[in-house]
Amino acid sequence: MRIYDHYAPRLLRYLLSLKVAQAQAEELVQETMLRLWRRADLFDARRASLATWLFRIARNLYIDSIRGEPHWLDIQEGLDWLDRTTPEDDASSTEAFTDHVGLSRAIDQLPATQARLIRMSYFEAKSHSEIAHELGMPLGSVKSNLRRAFAKLQAGLRGSS
Amino acid sequence: MKPHHHLDDSTLIGYSAGALPAAFRVVVSAHLSICQSCRERMLDADAVGGQLISLQEGAAMSAAARNDIMRRLGERSTPPSMTATANRTLDPHVLPRPLWPYFGETYSDLRWRTIGPGVHHIRSRHVDDGHLMLLRIAPGRCVPMHTHGGNELTMILQGAYDDSLGHFAPGDVADLDSDVEHQPVTSPGVPCVCVAATDLPLRFSGWLARTLQPFFKL
Repeated sequence: MRIYDHYAPRLLRYLLSLKVAQAQAEELVQETMLRLWRRADLFDARRASLATWLFRIARNLYIDSIRGEPHWLDIQEGLDWLDRTTPEDDASSTEAFTDHVGLSRAIDQLPATQARLIRMSYFEAKSHSEIAHELGMPLGSVKSNLRRAFAKLQAGLRGSS
Repeated sequence: MKPHHHLDDSTLIGYSAGALPAAFRVVVSAHLSICQSCRERMLDADAVGGQLISLQEGAAMSAAARNDIMRRLGERSTPPSMTATANRTLDPHVLPRPLWPYFGETYSDLRWRTIGPGVHHIRSRHVDDGHLMLLRIAPGRCVPMHTHGGNELTMILQGAYDDSLGHFAPGDVADLDSDVEHQPVTSPGVPCVCVAATDLPLRFSGWLARTLQPFFKL
């Protein structure tokens, strides 16, 4: 239950930031945790951290139930299935994604505009066009700023920043 | 066969964040299903989402939630059968798996509609956020010089085309900024079949939009 106690409130905060109503957001959190438990076969700690996996499940449930895309979960499971590692795969062949100190630092160090665009994407699920419209920024600038941000975050993830 | 033209980083972020219009999500999923390198980059984008969630303070779950999850974890559940059948590579007869719900499974069952000389199209009616369509353009055709007024994302399924950005073959995506001007010419031989998403109101520019304009009479 340590995983639940740690992540459930954070997942709830995430779903509330996406404007999901409290009761429904709580139900999606529960469903996320149950799926983590029941589909443990799809979780591969060598490919992704637990936080990454929980984010994916919560995001997928959000798209499925709030955005009403009935095929989304099937499609995502199909994609996950493609990269399933088999037990005989050598652990050293995949990169370890356990330490995200570098990523946290990279997030902290993003320039204000890039940080804002990242937050509007992940916490408000705003499309590039919506962001451009809301901030009065050309669409091309929204994309190029997101690109620059992603390059820095990837560098942080790889520990080279 | 590995794709040579990949998804833009900003598109990866939008997909990971659940922020892309539905039509774009479908095209991205189709490319991901045959492109391992983009799946790996997508995992990076998902790691950003996971880390953002981890870094923030939580919100209080209701008092009963903890007992509720304990009870439900104890319930027996039948795990869904693992029936995923995604192709790892493009099949000349079968559409990429993520397109099935929108267009069906096989190319031979597609019901093309003519929208101009050498241009056929099928619009998916199952997407209400953006426009999702298949296009089939005859070989050796020149699409007028154009820029993209909004977002357009195109994945080549069969045939090929060339423009100033390079050669686009099956599996490749053209994920273009709105200010890129280009003039695709389809390769000789077989028709170029692609799946495309656009978020343009159809009266604006953008070559798909313009191609489709007569059809929608806008």
